[in-house]
Amino acid sequence: MQLTYSEKNGYKVVHFEGSLDTVTSPEVEKTINALIDADTVKFVFNFDKTRYMSSSGLRVLLATAKKLKGKGELKISNLNEMIEEVFDISGFNQILNVYKTEEEALA
Amino acid sequence: MNAMKRILVVDDEPLNINILVELLKDNYKMMAAKSGLQALKAARSANKPDLILLDIMMPEMDGYEVCRQLKADESTKDIPVIFVSAMSESLDETKGFDVGAIDYITKPISPKTLEARVHTHLALTQQTAALKEAHLLIQQQQQRMQNELNVARDIQLSMVPTVFPKDDAVDIYATLKPAREIGGDFYDAFMIDSESLCLCVGDVSGKGAPAALFMAMTKTLIKSYASSDFSTASILTRVNDELCEGNDENLFVTVFLAILNVHTGELRFTNAGHNYPYIIKDDKSLLTLKQKHGPIIAAMEGLVYKEDTMFLDKNDTLFLFTDGVTEAMNPEEEPYGDARLEHFLEVQDCKDVKVSVNALMQDIASYENSAHQTDDITVLSCFYSGQTVLATLSLSIEDQFENIRLLTDACDQFCEAHAISSAVNQKVNLVLDDLVNNIISYGYKDKNTAHTIDVVFKQMERELMIIIEDDAMPFNPFDREHEGVHLSLDEREIGGLGIHLVKKLMHTFQYQRKANKNIVVLTIQL
Repeated sequence: MQLTYSEKNGYKVVHFEGSLDTVTSPEVEKTINALIDADTVKFVFNFDKTRYMSSSGLRVLLATAKKLKGKGELKISNLNEMIEEVFDISGFNQILNVYKTEEEALA
Repeated sequence: MNAMKRILVVDDEPLNINILVELLKDNYKMMAAKSGLQALKAARSANKPDLILLDIMMPEMDGYEVCRQLKADESTKDIPVIFVSAMSESLDETKGFDVGAIDYITKPISPKTLEARVHTHLALTQQTAALKEAHLLIQQQQQRMQNELNVARDIQLSMVPTVFPKDDAVDIYATLKPAREIGGDFYDAFMIDSESLCLCVGDVSGKGAPAALFMAMTKTLIKSYASSDFSTASILTRVNDELCEGNDENLFVTVFLAILNVHTGELRFTNAGHNYPYIIKDDKSLLTLKQKHGPIIAAMEGLVYKEDTMFLDKNDTLFLFTDGVTEAMNPEEEPYGDARLEHFLEVQDCKDVKVSVNALMQDIASYENSAHQTDDITVLSCFYSGQTVLATLSLSIEDQFENIRLLTDACDQFCEAHAISSAVNQKVNLVLDDLVNNIISYGYKDKNTAHTIDVVFKQMERELMIIIEDDAMPFNPFDREHEGVHLSLDEREIGGLGIHLVKKLMHTFQYQRKANKNIVVLTIQL
């Protein structure tokens, strides 16, 4: 899984390319935690280029949201239809801040 | 003859004691106490009195207090107490009855009255004790009968399968709801070989443990004969002879037995006194299988049963049931009936066997409303899709997390090669990731030994089937309900979601343990 970053409106925008699953999740979690430890606390996760996300991926999002609670922000954008369904089934669309597009997330 | 009853006389005046003892000593064993404390001691001794004549006015502890203490003590509360007193004011009588006395005698004592009262109360006490004992016996017997019914029900429910053969061409689901008093329904569904599916539904007459055991025997015999005999007529002919031997209880069974060739759709069947099954056609029209091939099983030795054969069309649903369905009563005692059942089958989408069977059970339950279910209700539905496998891919991986990628990559290629949509592809990837992750994370105790996980993809006309086999410790991933999808961020546990996703994303999911392997079969509609 390839992570690329950009800075917009004070948010760290992270693009995830590939699949967020058992194999990639541990590495992704480490990378995000390192960013948080280095005081980056406002994120937009853009999943435009993510093919699928298994529960390992959801776990990383939940852990990140819990870490940032009270000291930062996590916004989620650009879910494909399949990941949107997974968010719906798991109730994640109710506990995470989900936006249609990156622009809406940054607005 | 009963041993002589003991009577305890309590009075602080020896003269009064003597009078009573003289009057009664011919017929009873007499005991005496000169104070309340002595009386209590005597009442609690090994030779308890059967009745107490108690004076009221005594120094230290009066008769009321003695009586109150006797009644408060479990070991003495059943001894009848008759107060003997010179006082005859009604106020005192009330007080005496309040503390638990059974009667009152006033001085001067009339010998006849005394004898009569003593005799009456001893007899009453004895009868009460006998009644109590009888009541206890009845309770115990009821409990024993209930236990027997529970055992019978356990036998019955443990005998019928809850995991059904999963073949490309058929989908099966069945359920049995026992009545409070067991009626002895059963069903079975198993593959005889790679192409012959055996289905049966039966109803044993009678109730309780004998019916349950007879049902177990019938089902076992059918299964055992079916393994080597492909004629339903011949199977039931042999089962009938076998069951007739030693059928002292005169039980009998109605059976519908069918063998379906899942490749050709050929259906061979025998109806032995059972109610007529239905075939629900693709266009929702109903066909009733009215052929009869012989009477009930186990009634008469030497009968020869017949059989019929026909072909199921693709998308036919074979629907078997017992009369518990149509004879389910509402509170007005009107039966559910054939017409209502037929209407239900015409309206309901019966191709999804599990959903439709459960919907029917629900419909029957709401029809019965509060009425008591008097007979077992059994339903078995088999949807014959006649689907053929269009493409198959099998692969094996070792139990390393990074190998899951080999599975998802293979799935990608398979889907692309066979024009399976990307949505299906990604759902299957997610499911593979979660299920195989679970197997590798929790399935193996011997971390140093390599294990193989086998995965098969089968593309059929309308669905994609995924079969995952592993040799990990027995574990049914679908056993647990995931709770907490509606919890807030703070309340949510990290983890436990994967299986919930699998259940929601797949059309069907099944687990079975077979020959030291966990086998998970999933389907998703194309």
